Order: sequence, then C-alpha cells, then structure tokens
Amino acid sequence: MDSTSILLTLRLASVTTILLLLIATPLALWIATGRGPARRIVQAAVALPLILPPTVLGFYLLVGLGPLTAFGRFLIRLIGHPLAFTFTGLVIGSILFSLPFAVQPLVAGFTNVDRDLIDTARVLGASPWTVFRRIVAPLSRAAFLASAVLTFTHTVGEFGVVLMLGGDIPGVTRTLSIAIYDQVQEGQYAAANHASLWLVALSFLALLLLYARNSGRADAGIA
Amino acid sequence: MPESPEARLQHHHKLSVQCRVGSLNIDANLKLSSMWTILFGPSGSGKSSLLRAACGLIGSEGITLQRFQPDETWQTLQDANTQTPPHLRGLAWAPQHTSLFPHLTVRENVEFAAHHGQSRNTDHQSLVAESLRLFRINHLASRTPRDLSGGERQRVSLARAFATPHCKLMLLDEPFNGIDHTLRNELLPEMRTWLRDRGIPALSVTHDVEEALQLQAEVILLREGKVEAEGYVTKVLHAERDGLLQSLAKN
Repeated sequence: MDSTSILLTLRLASVTTILLLLIATPLALWIATGRGPARRIVQAAVALPLILPPTVLGFYLLVGLGPLTAFGRFLIRLIGHPLAFTFTGLVIGSILFSLPFAVQPLVAGFTNVDRDLIDTARVLGASPWTVFRRIVAPLSRAAFLASAVLTFTHTVGEFGVVLMLGGDIPGVTRTLSIAIYDQVQEGQYAAANHASLWLVALSFLALLLLYARNSGRADAGIA
Repeated sequence: MPESPEARLQHHHKLSVQCRVGSLNIDANLKLSSMWTILFGPSGSGKSSLLRAACGLIGSEGITLQRFQPDETWQTLQDANTQTPPHLRGLAWAPQHTSLFPHLTVRENVEFAAHHGQSRNTDHQSLVAESLRLFRINHLASRTPRDLSGGERQRVSLARAFATPHCKLMLLDEPFNGIDHTLRNELLPEMRTWLRDRGIPALSVTHDVEEALQLQAEVILLREGKVEAEGYVTKVLHAERDGLLQSLAKN
C-alpha cells in the first residue's frame, strides 16, 4: 500500500482547491459581470486547459519556470531553487490545469443570481462588496461546492502535468496517478489495482457529496 | 428660466430623463416636493423606468437627478459628468416585483436595509421593529419569502424600504400590489404620517385612481413617456375621478 502517494495526492488536491477558489472567485465575478472584449479573451484563455493536452501545459510550465527563460531565472534567484520537480511547482501546474473546473461553475452560479435582487440590494445602500458577501455568495453556495469538488477530483486525477513538471519523486511529486503508471510499467498489476481503487472511491465519494448536497436545488452549472 | 426662492424651496428633488427604454421614448422632467408625489399613468407609460433612472440602474446618458440640500444648494447625484452609485444616493426602494432576498427571513430582509448585516445599533433595531409593526408583519418575522402570500411579500418589501436609515427619498413602485383595499386604507395614512414625521419625501407609482385619490397628494400624470399633467390630485385626475364615481354609482 502506497500511503505516501495517497497523502501527497490529497495534500496537493486540498492546497490546489483552496488557492484556486481564492483565485477563481474574483475571476468568475469579473467574467460574469464585466463588459468588453477583454472579458471574452480571458474567458477563452481560462477554458484553454479543457482542450489542451496536459503534456503541452506541463511542457510550457517546465520551460517557463526553469532556467531557460528570463522569468524562470528570476524565479530561481528569488526562491533559491527551480520550481520544477517540487511540490510548489506541482501546485502551480495544478492550479492552471484545473482553472476552468473552478471558474466555470462559479460563472454559471453568479450569472444565475436574479439581477433584480442585486439592484434592490444596491439601492437599499449595500456596497458592491456587501452585495457580493450577503446576496451573491450565499445564493451561489451550490456553485461554490461544485467548483470545489470538481477542482479537487480533477487534481486527484491529474497525470500529464504532474509527470512533465513534477517528475516522479516519491513523497514529493509522485502522486497516486503517477504511482499507478509506475506500477503498471513494472508489471505490478495487483498494486496498481489497489491504488486505482483508491482513486475510484475518492472520486465517487466527492461526486456523491456534490449531488447529495445539490439534490432538489437548481443545477449549479455542471451538466 | 430662473426660479423664485419660494418655488425652489418647495422642490426637494428634480429628475429629468431623456432616454429610450425598450421601445419607449422617455422625455420627462419631474419636480418632487418634500411630501408625497404620485406618478400616475397606464402600464407601459414609463413609470417604473423613471424610478429605476432615479436609482441609477439604467444607462447614464440623458438622466439628471438633483437634490435640494438643507444648506439650500442643489446636490447633483447624476448628470453628464456625475454618476453617484446607487448605494450612495440615500434612497429607499420598494421595487415592482418585491425582490425579497430568498435566502433571508422576513426579519433579515428588513434588517438588510437597516444595516446590511454589519454593525447594528439600537437606532437600527428600533427602526426594524417599528417598520415590522407598521406593516403588521411581526408574526411573519421568522418565515422565508417562499412561505408568504403575494400581499405579505409586498408588505415585507415595503417594511424593508421603510427600514432604510438616513433615507432622503422613498421610491415605491405600485406599493399596494396584492394588498386588499381594507388593509391599504389602514396602511396609507400611517405610512404618510411615518414619512412626514421623519421628513422623508416619497415618490410612488400607481395606476389605481382610488389609491391616488386617497393619498390627497401631488400627482404627475405620465403617458407614453411624457408628463401630460401635474398638480393636485383632484385637479389632475378629475376625469378619472368622475369615471370612478360613475362606476361606483352603478354598483
């Protein structure tokens, strides 16, 4: 049983989910309420990881964060070591890779909030921040849950980006999906099966939580 | 045209709207007194749009809103160069479709206007309590909007508007929609007293002649986006009043 990989995977998914919700919320709010062509460009860029092969994203991150680019060299000088093949590097890759899964449900949730409620709250003296905190966010609770669960499960199942950017360092970057790949390469089918079952169970439980919480509620933006 | 100081003192707000909303061309100048003014007109005449314009909720071009200050100057809330955001206009609003916050209880809805869930003080609390009492919804305080009838929702929406502190202009869009006549006849004088005691001018929208006549107020008659007549209710709505009396006599 590869508990190191399981714990690493859970840690990566948790950190990614928390950071990504913080990033995705203002981004989704801007996409949902903003105007002008910049909004469409950002929306398309956010959705890009949906169709891009993960290896492409991983490759550019590997190069971009590494000593081959000015930005990468700046980063290395800033923190003292390359980000590739580290846990932090993995988190950055996961955030970019799972961005659409966090942003899309939130955009759908924010857009679904009745415009009249927002207008009424504003006229009654609520600042934009209060309107978000007291009206938009509570009415988008289902969307936040969908965003968190999808990000978490998607990060758990990540493979290409992790392989390109993280390599395969036990306890540092060898996540469950990488461990399974290694085990199959070495012909350890029983071990691979064991680890795979963990992934199936974890993902199923997360989705079950999502649908159980959302039952009887309006669709939160995922089909 | 220069206005005499007396005439200016009588006006509390000036709202001028020249814009197109949907298929309607609105071109109206409203002068509101410090009392209650009624915006009267058939549906589709642009009444709600005028209120929304005052709130700062429709486009920015062609709309001017000015308020007479205690220091006898006019404060511009909106014109070609100024656009005060809705929450800083000192307004209270009971919108046409009540728009109660579905995730909050009746009390929380009313409290939202009073302090937005932020630091509360005793002034706010008594304002909320008085407003709940005025609209006879104390017994509904812990219910959610989903469990209310149409008339009850309307009263909560009014209570929420009346609980807005430091309000400089009360905007009521068909305030008695769904409220039966008996209750309306009870509420109207009390609402007027409430506003008069606090010195809050009101602008209410209606297409109900009886309601307008009962208020005994200044009326602005709106038709197809333009002001057709303005003045005291019995003067402006005499034709409508005669019609109402005839239909009452027939019954």
